[in-house]
Amino acid sequence: MSLSDQELKQLTVDHQLDGVGEVCPHTLNIALDGLKKAKSGDILVEVTDHSIATKTIPAAVKMNKLADHLGTVKEDGNYYIYLKKK
Amino acid sequence: MFTIEAFILAAVFGLIYGFLLQKADFCFVASVRDFVSVKDSRIGKGVLVLMATAMIGWGFALTTGLASLEQVWAVPIGLTNLFGGILFGIGMTIAGSCASGALYRSGMGYVQFWIVIAAMITGNLLFAFIYDPWGREGFVEPLTFTDKGYSLYEIGLPFMVLPLIFVGILILIVVKKFGVDGFLQGVKNSVTDWNGNPFKQQHWDVRFVAVLMGITATIQFITLSSISVTGPETRMGGVLVASIFGEQAVYNNVYLNNMFSSYPAIGLGPEETLVIFMVVGAFISSVLSKSFKIRFPKAKRLPAAIGGGLIMGVASRIAPGCNIANVVAGVGGLSIASIIVIFGMMIGVFIITKYYFKMPIMLFYREKDAA
Repeated sequence: MSLSDQELKQLTVDHQLDGVGEVCPHTLNIALDGLKKAKSGDILVEVTDHSIATKTIPAAVKMNKLADHLGTVKEDGNYYIYLKKK
Repeated sequence: MFTIEAFILAAVFGLIYGFLLQKADFCFVASVRDFVSVKDSRIGKGVLVLMATAMIGWGFALTTGLASLEQVWAVPIGLTNLFGGILFGIGMTIAGSCASGALYRSGMGYVQFWIVIAAMITGNLLFAFIYDPWGREGFVEPLTFTDKGYSLYEIGLPFMVLPLIFVGILILIVVKKFGVDGFLQGVKNSVTDWNGNPFKQQHWDVRFVAVLMGITATIQFITLSSISVTGPETRMGGVLVASIFGEQAVYNNVYLNNMFSSYPAIGLGPEETLVIFMVVGAFISSVLSKSFKIRFPKAKRLPAAIGGGLIMGVASRIAPGCNIANVVAGVGGLSIASIIVIFGMMIGVFIITKYYFKMPIMLFYREKDAA
């Protein structure tokens, strides 16, 4: 599932996670901790400026069937990684 | 004496490495950490492809006579390899990147990794001034079991035999898991992962980049030297010491003196030029893909950056060598010591992933166990 930037921005986000200024593995741990606290179907967005997190977070949640990666928006040097908890 | 051609060649190699490392976000810590914690094998596959390409490259260079066995980087064998490797793995996991990762991320504007590199160089110097007067006789020599390094190329088999066996085993494992079609599809995906202008594309397939890096390292091995990062960084530290305390401070230290033994004077040579240009290459790559940004770390991460960097600096002198020297030049040269160092690094990464970051170790998690 991958939505357009416009569609992603219109989503109602249940949990906003701050990963700016962080690097691996903190960026991933922030996402995993956020998913633990979220309910099934919740939408989470992690904001980060760590570019590789756009690869590692989607791969980790997919591999472990924790969430769907809805897409990533890049804006002002930050990445907004949208996840939907399974 | 160094020639201007050597400096130019080193700069070109540095640009290529920096560019490629950034394009694949090639982080050796992630290759182990992400695999054991969240079963993400993407970068791990890249590291295996890099090792395979380096082995084939080194084997080819030796077979054709383009390089000789004397050029192979193989250091003495001992517990120093294992201890240094474990310590380096611990340091790089705490710091958040390996030696080459710190360089390319510095070029991308990560202030955290400028700090890590400074701490690493400090760690290199710390080791040098522990080595002389105490460290050499206190623990380095007692823990080193051979006078010289040993490469499996010295067995006497035709040089291509062992690299081909290793690559053959890798391919067999992949084919067994994914089938012939899956293997071929993987090869196809790795070379067709393009979306518009490749230079502006943010990420390149890590396996494709690994092959390019292995080929570049082979050409460097034939024409210039074996790739290394922390050795040149130690010499940069030596230059700094000489500029502050005078050249005698370097000449009077056995370890630093030895580091400059093949240099005409205390200064930056081609290998240091290569390392500096790795940062430049990553900067160019990140600017082209609009990934460059001055990124300030959270203040609470600074102790880890400094501490991790210091540990990496000390450990890289004990092992010796960093991730890239051991994975590319060491494995390419079939050095026994490098194989031990890499094993140690994996242990170090695992320890910190599980016990310091307390990440889930999902690699060993089975749904049926939970049920």
